[in-house]
Amino acid sequence: MTAASRVRAEATAAWHSFVRRRTAVFFTFFFPVILILIFAVLVGTNPGGGGLFAEPAGYYLPGYLAVVVLFTPLSRVGSTVARHREGNRFEKLATTPLTRAEWLLAHTLVNAAIIGLAGLIILGLMALVTDATLTLGPVSLLLVAAFVALASVVFCGLGAVLGSTADSQDGVIAASNAIALPLLFLSETFVTPDLLPAWFRPAMDLSPLTYFARGVRELTFSGGAFGGDLLVLAGLALAFFAAGAYAIPETD
Amino acid sequence: MTDAIVAEGLRREYGDTAALDGVSLSVGAGEVFALVGPNGAGKTTLVRALTGTTTLDSGSVSVLGDHPRNLDRSRLGLLPQSFDPPERLTARELVAYYAGLYDEARDPGSVLESVGMDDDATWYEKLSGGQQRRTCVGTALVNDPDVLFLDEPTTGIDPAGRRALWSLVEDLAASGTTVFLTTHDMAEAERLADRVGLLADGRLVAVGSPAELVAEFGGRTRVVVDLTTDTTDIPASADAAASALADAGFEVETTDDSLVVRGVSPEDIGEVVAALDAEAVAYDALAWTEPDLEDAFLELAGRSVADGDPTALAGMNDDVGENHGETAVAEGDR
Repeated sequence: MTAASRVRAEATAAWHSFVRRRTAVFFTFFFPVILILIFAVLVGTNPGGGGLFAEPAGYYLPGYLAVVVLFTPLSRVGSTVARHREGNRFEKLATTPLTRAEWLLAHTLVNAAIIGLAGLIILGLMALVTDATLTLGPVSLLLVAAFVALASVVFCGLGAVLGSTADSQDGVIAASNAIALPLLFLSETFVTPDLLPAWFRPAMDLSPLTYFARGVRELTFSGGAFGGDLLVLAGLALAFFAAGAYAIPETD
Repeated sequence: MTDAIVAEGLRREYGDTAALDGVSLSVGAGEVFALVGPNGAGKTTLVRALTGTTTLDSGSVSVLGDHPRNLDRSRLGLLPQSFDPPERLTARELVAYYAGLYDEARDPGSVLESVGMDDDATWYEKLSGGQQRRTCVGTALVNDPDVLFLDEPTTGIDPAGRRALWSLVEDLAASGTTVFLTTHDMAEAERLADRVGLLADGRLVAVGSPAELVAEFGGRTRVVVDLTTDTTDIPASADAAASALADAGFEVETTDDSLVVRGVSPEDIGEVVAALDAEAVAYDALAWTEPDLEDAFLELAGRSVADGDPTALAGMNDDVGENHGETAVAEGDR
C-alpha cells in the first residue's frame, strides 16, 4: 500500500511534468501521425513488387509500433534520469522512502501510458488511411497491449541505464539514437530477414525488439503462435527493469 | 546529550583530491550545527557522506544510531545544494509530491506557509530564486524529520526571507529537530548554530560555539578609520597618528586609505580620536567593531591557506567528535 502510494506520487508528478510541456506532448503524438502518413500513405506498399515496402501494409504495423515503443522510453527515461542527476534529485530521493525500483516503475507506467496512446493513434490511422488488413479482436488487442507494455518496460530499463551512465543529456540523446536506429531496422520491423545476409540473421534474436515485432505481427497479421515471443519479452522486461533500477544512482 | 550524528575518520577522494580528509565529528540530538568553509572545502561532500549519498573511501557514519542508508528514511530530511526539483509543478504540487513519498507527512499548505511561500500556484521554474529556494526548503520539511540537513538553505533568498527561514530553523531546533546546515553566511551561522565547524581542504579545522570561536580566533576589538585621501599613499598626518597610537600601546595597521587600530576598548576610543585630531588627520568615517565569526573564519581559513597544510590546524580532528560545548583547536597553532 505504501509502495503503491509512493509510485502514484512519483507517477503523478512525472505525468504532470509531461502533459504540461505542450511541445513535447504535441510532437510525441504527432510523431506517429507523420510516421503513418509518410511511410504507410505517401510511400505506400507494393506487395510482391519490390520497392521499399514490398510486404502487405499490415506487415509493417509492428514496425510503426516499434518506433514509438523504442524511441519514446529510450529518450524520455534516459533524459529524465540525466536531468535528475544534474539537478541532484536522486540525492534527495535517496533520503526518502522511494526506492529506485519504485521510481523506475512510476516512470515506466507513465511511458507505457504515453506509448499506449501513441499506439492507439497508429492503430487508428492504419485502419483509417491505409488498406492494411489487420486481424484484431478484443483479445488480440489486449495481447498487443501486453506486448507494448512489456517492450516499454524493456526500453525504460535500457533508458535508465543510458541515463545513469552518460555524462549529460546530450550524451543520452546521442547514445539512444546510436542504439535505437540499428535496433529498429535489424529487428524484423521494416526490413524482412531475407533482405539481410544469412550469417547476420541469428543476430536479430539478440534484439528485444525482434520478439516484440514477431509477436505483434503474429497477433495482428500472420495469425501464428506468439506465446514464445511474449515469454521471451517478459523475461527481457524483468532483466532490463532490474538493470535499469540498479543503474539509477543513489550516490554521487 | 545523545548524539544524533556521529562521523569517524571520513575520507573521500575524487581523483587526486581529497574532498574529505579524516573528518570526525558528532552532533547532539536537538543541536543546530553549522558547517562553514571556503568554496571547495568539502562541505557538500560531508553532507553527502552524512546522508549516505556518497561512497566513502574510509570512515564510518551513524545517524540516529544507524548507517544513513539503513535508517528509517522518514526520520531524515535533506535539502541538497544546487537542487533542481521536477519541472512544471507548482510549489504546492512539489511539496505535495514529496509528501506523497512518506507514510505520514505534513499538510503541504502549512509547510509552504512555514517557509513564507504565499505563491503556491505558479510553476516552480517561474518563481523567483528566493521563492524557489524556500519551496525547496519546504520539500525537506514535509516529513517532519528528526534530523534535517540543509546545504546552503538561504542562498539566493532576500534578507526578509532569510530571517523568516532563520526563525523556522530556530523553531525546529526548539521542537527537538537536529539541524546540520552549511552556509557561507557567518551571520546565519552565528545566529542559528549551537556549534560551528570550519572545514578547509577537507579537514575540520575548528569546532566550537560561535562565541568560543570568536573569542579564540576573532582577534581583538578595533577601530577602523576611513581616511580622506585621493592619492594611493597614506597621508603623512595619518602615518604620524599611527606612530603615536603605536607608541601608546595599540596595534596599528595601515592601508592606502584606512587605519586599523586593534585592541581598542570602548573607553579608549576617545584616545584614538584625540591622536587623529592632534595630527589633523582628515577622515570620512570612524567605526569601532567587535570581532565576529567572519573574523574567526577569515583567520582560520587564512591560516589554512597560508600554511598550505591544514593539518597544522587540524590536530584536533580526533577530538572534535567528543567535544560538545568546547572549542577544539590545534594547540601548536595558537
